[in-house]
Amino acid sequence: MGWKVDKLLVQENGFLTCYMPALNRALVFRVKCRVNREPVFNYGPLPLTAGETLPTFEGGSVTVPAGGVMPARAYTPTGRSFPMPGAYDETDMWYVPEDYRERVFHVIQKITPSFLRVDVQIPTGVTQGRFQKDKIVTGVDASLGFSRGTIETVHLPRLHYGYRWANDTNLSVYSSVRFTYGEYVVETPKDASLIFDILTRRVQSHWISLPINVLDPSIESALMLTYGFTGFPVYGIHQRDQALKEYNELIKRVKV
Amino acid sequence: MENELFTVQGSVSGTGDYTLDSDLLQATVTYIRIPRGLKAKIWTKRIAGEAADVAIRFTPDVTAPSPTWKNLDVQKLASAGEISLEKRRPIVIHGFTGNEAFKITRLTGTGNSYITLEVEISEE
Repeated sequence: MGWKVDKLLVQENGFLTCYMPALNRALVFRVKCRVNREPVFNYGPLPLTAGETLPTFEGGSVTVPAGGVMPARAYTPTGRSFPMPGAYDETDMWYVPEDYRERVFHVIQKITPSFLRVDVQIPTGVTQGRFQKDKIVTGVDASLGFSRGTIETVHLPRLHYGYRWANDTNLSVYSSVRFTYGEYVVETPKDASLIFDILTRRVQSHWISLPINVLDPSIESALMLTYGFTGFPVYGIHQRDQALKEYNELIKRVKV
Repeated sequence: MENELFTVQGSVSGTGDYTLDSDLLQATVTYIRIPRGLKAKIWTKRIAGEAADVAIRFTPDVTAPSPTWKNLDVQKLASAGEISLEKRRPIVIHGFTGNEAFKITRLTGTGNSYITLEVEISEE
């Protein structure tokens, strides 16, 4: 099983690129090492509490009948985090403050049953899915803008991510979550030419587009506090000189 | 998405719709609604109990006030006992709108009847 999950994660000395559409910028990391040798974590049921009410696709509401049960035709309107006793923030196991800046969590969430819809709010409460600019807000409660069963993302320090789920069947289902994750120790490459080659996809990197289409002020604030900048602008392959000049300036400000 | 394969067990006394249950289900149902864009595949069917004609029935719109159901498959258990049907190719039911659903109905027979299905929900 190990070799299979290893393929999902970034290997030591590989690169990880986190692209943010709203900024047209990307964070580029070299993975110095992955701390956790066992990347699979069976978390247990979704964080749904017996007795709470959820809205339904029909416009009504329904009560969660038992802990971890996703009721039929229901969705979580606001993103949820995953509690973990003993974690830095016990309400959100993936949250770390800015002084964990050399750590990045690469998280693949797999939900059973796999037909449940999932999306992520960054930060919690800010729905990021959009269609035709801001014409339509998408997500688990809409007809597009979600995936089913699996979602991959990178958790950046100082930001709470909120996951949402929806069940468009008539089945009230018990749920389970399995994380495949890498706790990476990272650094930003200090070579502007290498960063340009990564961002023009001439050097291989695991590229994740974070669903950041709406720029909440907390995102820029978190990036500045954690990394000292908001990422490297993505230039076209014909803009090398301009890119290198700007990257060299940004590298001087990078905190990790 | 990854395919979800699960076992559904059903029971009925006399004729009518089987009440369906599963380890995944917190509450029983009488039909299964197929999410938009996905398919339900029924790979195996086991019928046990008293003699029965058992139908897999489909409706294109389970949200209608009176859904219309049509038979997709009918299997006969001629006398009390058990029959097990492993399909080389599954019965496939498409979810085009998200309103499609299927159920299992006992068309004829008296006494208790039981079914077990292996159902897969998948994109392909």
